[in-house]
Amino acid sequence: MKQIQHRIADEQGLHARPAGQLVQAAAKFTCDIRMEAGGRQVDAKRVLGVMQLGAAKGTLLTLTFDGPDEAEAAEALQTFLSQAL
Amino acid sequence: MGIFDKLRRSGLTVLAPLDGEVVPISQVPDPTFSEELLGKGVAIKPASSRVCAPFDGTVSMMFATGHAVSLVSSSGIELLIHIGLETVSLKGRHFTILANSGDQVRAGQPLILFEREAIAAEGFNLITPLVVCNSGDYAQVEAKTGRTVHTGDPLLELSR
Repeated sequence: MKQIQHRIADEQGLHARPAGQLVQAAAKFTCDIRMEAGGRQVDAKRVLGVMQLGAAKGTLLTLTFDGPDEAEAAEALQTFLSQAL
Repeated sequence: MGIFDKLRRSGLTVLAPLDGEVVPISQVPDPTFSEELLGKGVAIKPASSRVCAPFDGTVSMMFATGHAVSLVSSSGIELLIHIGLETVSLKGRHFTILANSGDQVRAGQPLILFEREAIAAEGFNLITPLVVCNSGDYAQVEAKTGRTVHTGDPLLELSR
């Protein structure tokens, strides 16, 4: 089990483009990836769920990874988030 | 027994949420949509200023800025309607929200009003992608492009 956190710095929050890219990045890994914001938890591999978080600038995202490639996934998503969001 | 009843029962048809010219999603000048990053779909160049529910279902998320809405049909189709490109940066200007997250809606029910000319005057492209976010659940997501549709006309046919 691994966990990472990221506070959204993008003015426009988690809108369509980064949501799509996040899901694409998460889908590459076999481990289960959950994303939580404001008390709500979603599957990070499903577009609709990610967008439903409606996460705005300043929101803290917590991602939890569970599975064989969890370490790799956590690192990749941490990199992606700090660059894209 | 009218055509709308027949379409409702088929469950896997998405109706046009607004009037306009139907174009392939590959022609949308934004890779998030043209490269099907969010899923398969189609786009409409709007000729009307109102987005209506494309099927019976639930509003899964009305974006606070009113520029996009995601819905789930009673048959499980997850659809994102994104009015114009980059319109998130309008921060809600020129959009009027008529339905909220969690609302149950009927096909044809108005969801969002938008000021077409005002948005275009600010330099935004109004092309409106419609994306099936759970495209992976379907064998085919088909649209007949190169034609004009009115709100409520069949737009997308999905098959498992």
